[in-house]
Formats: sequence, C-alpha cells, structure tokens
Amino acid sequence: MSSLLALGFDPSFFSDVWSFVDANADELQAGLRRTLLVSAIAIAGAFFIGLVLGAARAHRVPVVSQLAAVYVEVIRNTPILVQIFFLFYGLPQIGVRLEAFTVAWLAVMIWGGAFNTENFRAGFEAVPARLREAGFALGFGGISTFLNVTLPIGGRIALPSSINTYISVVKNTSLMYVISYPELTTTVLQVQALTLQTVEAFTVLAATYLIIVWTLSALIRFLESHLALPKAL
Amino acid sequence: MNLPDWVGDVARYMLEEGLVNTLRIAGISLAGAVLIGVTLGTLMTIRFLPLRGVIRLYIEFWRGLPILVTIFIIYFLLPAVSLSLRFEALTAAAIGLILWGSAQVAEATRGAVQSIPREQHEAASALGFGWVGRHAFVIMPQALRRLLPPLVSLLVNIIQNTTIAQVIGANELLESGERSVERLTAPPPIGLGEIHSFEIYAAVMAIFFVISFPLTRLAAYLEKRLI
Amino acid sequence: MRRVKIGIVATVAAGTLLAVWGGVASAREADSTASLAAAQAKLPPLPADIRSRGRFNIAVKCDTPPFGYIGARSQNAGFDVEIARLFAKFAFGKPNRVTMSCVTTPAREPALTTGRVDLVIATFTYNTDRETRIDFSRAYYKATGRLLVKNGGSVQGLNDLAGKTIATTSGSVYDRWVKNCYKDTKLVITDGFTNALLAFRDGRADALMFDDTILLGIAVTDPTTKLTDDLFLQQPYGIGIKQGNVALKRWVDSRLNLMKKRDLFFPILKNTVPPKQVAPFSKNILRPKQTFAYNQGDITTVCS
Repeated sequence: MSSLLALGFDPSFFSDVWSFVDANADELQAGLRRTLLVSAIAIAGAFFIGLVLGAARAHRVPVVSQLAAVYVEVIRNTPILVQIFFLFYGLPQIGVRLEAFTVAWLAVMIWGGAFNTENFRAGFEAVPARLREAGFALGFGGISTFLNVTLPIGGRIALPSSINTYISVVKNTSLMYVISYPELTTTVLQVQALTLQTVEAFTVLAATYLIIVWTLSALIRFLESHLALPKAL
Repeated sequence: MNLPDWVGDVARYMLEEGLVNTLRIAGISLAGAVLIGVTLGTLMTIRFLPLRGVIRLYIEFWRGLPILVTIFIIYFLLPAVSLSLRFEALTAAAIGLILWGSAQVAEATRGAVQSIPREQHEAASALGFGWVGRHAFVIMPQALRRLLPPLVSLLVNIIQNTTIAQVIGANELLESGERSVERLTAPPPIGLGEIHSFEIYAAVMAIFFVISFPLTRLAAYLEKRLI
Repeated sequence: MRRVKIGIVATVAAGTLLAVWGGVASAREADSTASLAAAQAKLPPLPADIRSRGRFNIAVKCDTPPFGYIGARSQNAGFDVEIARLFAKFAFGKPNRVTMSCVTTPAREPALTTGRVDLVIATFTYNTDRETRIDFSRAYYKATGRLLVKNGGSVQGLNDLAGKTIATTSGSVYDRWVKNCYKDTKLVITDGFTNALLAFRDGRADALMFDDTILLGIAVTDPTTKLTDDLFLQQPYGIGIKQGNVALKRWVDSRLNLMKKRDLFFPILKNTVPPKQVAPFSKNILRPKQTFAYNQGDITTVCS
C-alpha cells in the first residue's frame, strides 16, 4: 500500500469513485440496463442467424448459401460504425425509419450474425464425416442427421468462437454513442460532461465493461470444460 | 459516366486526406501492435509466474475494453491526469489501436509459440542452443509463420477500427466524408444545399470493402496453405 | 520589324502596368498592415509566448458551415476561421501565421485546458457553467435559436411541442434546454447538423431546432419548410481562452473592439454567408453602433 502511495496514488480515489456512482446511480444503472438489454437481444439473434446460415453454408444449400456468403463478406469487410450510420441515417431515405433502440440491437445483431455464420459453418464442417455417415446408416434423413448429429457436435466445436463473437457484440454496443442511444458509454460520457469528474467516470466505465467481459470469458472456460466432446470422438 | 460536379472535390478531400490518414493510422498501429504483441507473447511462455500474470492482465485489460472506451480514455482522461499526456486525435487513435492490437497479437503469439511441439525445443537444446538461441533460430520462425494468417486478419480489423477515431474528430476516411456532407448541406455559395450522405457513406463502405476483401481472402489462403 | 516593335512596346507597357499595380497592391497591403500596426500601437501587446512562437494555435470547427467548415479546395473556411486569420494578421502581419486545428463540440474545452491551442473560435456559446473552467472573450456573435417546421405540419410554434419530437445536435444548448423546459417533448439527438436535418426531413422528428444562421439557409432553399416566429436562447458566442490568461484575454478583447469600431465583421459576414442572408445576419454581429453582451445565469434552465 505504501508503495502505491509513493507512486502518487491517492487513497481517497475509491471513495471519490463510490460517491460518483452513488450520486449518479439512476442514470448509470439505466445505461447499464440498456447495454445488457441490447446485447441480449443481439446475441440471441446472432445465435439464430449463425446457426441457420452456418448450416446452409456448410451444407451448400443452393441460393441461400451464396446469399449468405455475400452477407458475410460485406459485413465482415466494412466497419461496423459505417453500418450503424447506414441503418440510422441512410435507410430513412428509402422510407425505412428505425428508432435508436432498434438500430442499436439490429446493427450489432447483423454484425454478430455474419461472424457467427462463419463460426458455425466451421463448426459443422469440422464434424467428422464418419459420424454423419453413422447417422445415415442409422436411418436418419438429411435433416434428422443434422439435428441429431451435426448440430450438437458442430455446435460444441463452434462454442468458443461463438462466445468470442458474443463478447465482441457486447463491446460493440458502446458504438451506439454515435446515434446517442443512452447505453452505458453514452450515459457515462454525458454524466462526465456535466460533472467533469473525468477520472471517476472513466474508471466506472472501464470497470463495468471489464466485469461484463471477464464474466463472459469465464463462462467460456466453464462451458468448454463441461461441454467438451468425449475423447472418443 | 457523368458524375455531378461536387464529386471531384469531395473525392479528392476524402482520398487525399481521409484515406491517407486511415492508412497511416493503420500502418503505425499494426507495426506497434506486432512489435509489442510478439514481444509480450513470447515473454509469456517463460515459466515465471509474476511476469506471466502481469502480461496476462495487460492482455485481458485491453482486449476486454471496447476500443471506443480505450480511445476516449487516451484522448480525454490522460490530459486530465497530466498535462504532458495530451495527444492529438490521430495519435490518440493510433495509441488506442496499438494497445488493443498488441493484446490480440500477444495472445495469438502465445498460442503459436505454445503450439510448437516440445520435440523442437528438445532438438534445439540437444544441438547446443540456449533459451535465446533456441527461440531465435528454431521456435520463433515457426511460430511467426503460424502467426501470419491471424496477423492479416488483425490488419483487416485494425483498418476497420480506425473509423472509431471519427468519434474524437480525427480526420480519417469516415470523418472526411462527414465533413464533406456537412459542407454540401449548407446553401450556396458554401455548399449545394443538398444532402448527399447516402452516396458519400456508401462510397466510404465501398472503399473499405475494396481494401479489406483481398486481405480477408489472403488470410484464408494463408490459413489453408499452412495446414 | 514593325510587328516586333509593337510587340516590345506592348510587353513593356504590360510589364510596367503589372509592376505599378503590384507595387500599389503591396503598398496597399503594407499600408493596411502599417495602418493596422498603427491602430494597435496603443492596444495591449501580444503575450510573449505566442509572440516568440510566431504563430497562433487556434481551434475551429470543421463541419459547421458557415462558421467553420472545409471548403471545396480542402481549406478551412467560415466566419470563425476568417476571424482567426484576421487575428493572425493583427499579431504577425500575415493572415497565414495561424495553425488551425479542428475540434468537435465536446473537444473544445479540453483543447484549452490542456494547452493544445491558444484560442477556441468554434461557435462556442457562453454559459456560466463553462465560465468556471475557462475564460471567454467579450461576445462576438449573437446567435438565436429558431425552430424549423414543415408548412402545415403538426408543430407551428413552441406552444405545440407537447408530445412531439424535436431534432437537434448532441451537446448543444438546445439539447439541454428542451430537456429542462419541455419535459414532455421527445428528442432525436444526432451527431452533426446534417443528420438532424435528415431526421427532420424523413419525418423522424416534427421540428428542427438550431441556430438562426444555419436554419435560415435551409428555410430559404426548401420551400416546404419555414421558421416559426419564436426566438429563444439568445446567447452569444465567445472566444475561448485558457483560464487565467489575462494578457491574452486583454489582447483578444481589444482586437474584437477594434474590429467592431472599424466595422471589420461586416466584410467577413459578406464573404461567408449567402448574399440574401447578409442583411438579416448583419444584426447578429458587432458593428460600430451595434453591441451585445452575455446573459448571466444558465440560459438552458430559463424557460420562457
């Protein structure tokens, strides 16, 4: 502790941060709630998009597979910030008006879905062929094989990369700052602009994201060990 | 094709200033991220727990924060802490990307180095190499080759993420587009009194796509070739 | 031979004319510089650190026409930018002795407090809260808030705002004023004015709230819209100066007063706003017989 003091660390720092949180608790928890809500919707959507389109790509379903490829390549090769601009400011010119909340979850969902499509495709393609053949041998049709063999195994293979994508989705919700959707980053910065407690505000902001992200990462490690595929496979 | 008159000046501003700054930030960030990241990643493989712990903390910190928050911290927080730590927007953006990128590279390097089979270490030791020699001549060359596909992907990510610098006003490609949009919206003689955000932002997306897509394909090709 | 003679005479004549004209021009330039120097002889001097540097560092807007924007030739342009150039001429005799940095709205204060720039001339509205952290020069431009609505739309004035939606930019005085005074009015807050205009045009907002200088231009070019009669939030712009820099504030205020006395703001206005708007906005600038000052108190909390 004395060495920290020697570095110029001020012990009243913690009480300053705490009083900042206390004084602005309402706005901060509202912002946090919105971040979590948008993230949850986007993650759920990205899961389904990745699952369906990843399966389509892995099984080379005609038309769907090609369209999915275009979707993936466009989203992956353009900045998400420009995608957000497009949804919020560009779409209204063709008559589609979305409010900030909608753009918030939709933008990260579309972004996450593209990356997740690749995650699931890789997962499904990594399922050893002999297992699928075993499914056919047991009398399963195409779809049954998928549901009973490819999906459970491929889904588990895809789990680490999927969760990494979901973590990135949570972090990217911070970009909703540019459309002034009052999620956590926007809220903290607004409070900071009013109270000028820069150090306290950014400490709270950084700490909150790290807690969320580290919790999700710990979740990966937990799931990885518990859902690990048996060595026999 | 007959392009409207305003396109020439806007294109020149966006390409000569915006795009150049985007590529400049990306280049500096990639260089910094690789230098720092490879160093840290290699150091992580040393069996010294405190060192590993510190580097692990660095990696988890800069990978855990959204890049926007990192850049805000450098641009707004650092000057509040010490006056000598003020950076202009482009520099702050580059520093933020270097911190994030180096954390990614460090993690990837650690994985690459640890994926080199133990036999390589043993063979090198048998040939009389010390730790440094072993790593310099046997392990690292192989590890770096495995690092190449993720590094190309990282370059694509860095290029995309330079747009975050727009939020603090750095004149990269997206911001130069935004400034042009604002000028054109103003009535003559300043601008045209017309809104052209759709065209200009579409052009920004197209330029990023044209730069990123070949690199993404390259990463996929390198990945296949190394397996 | 005759043709050659005529050619030589013509060239000499042209050359002499050019020399005379150039001489007169540079003499006029030197004359005006000399006259500027003479006018400043009795005014407060430039602070030593800026004088020794030989250049001004001034922050301006780069995306807010007509005050600060990037022109077609990628140059800084606008009302505030012209003032910055004139300051450079006052200080160093040449209008190009200034380094202009672009700032966004939230970056204006940090630019001063961290010493990144000497002055901020960037549509910087005075308010007492800001005054606690930085210093302002005397007022130099009186902006008024206006409301832009569609002809025959559901909002025809400030009285119609209940339950409606207004578009404006983030961090502006309008943003805070509406939140304080019109609690049942929704806001669409955007990054940059064009996006607010788009939101209004696309029907995402019923009205657009912003400075008169900018909204008048829109109302003139778009006949489906008009400005309501409401005038509100009349709070002048000031030049931002680092807190405690008394010498620089004296210099800036004295030069602004000199510009007012010599009506130097008027030609700048003529150069930067469309001709039709020069007359209405000539009431917003400092002129020999026209002056204005800041309102004390936080105007964003004063509800009419």
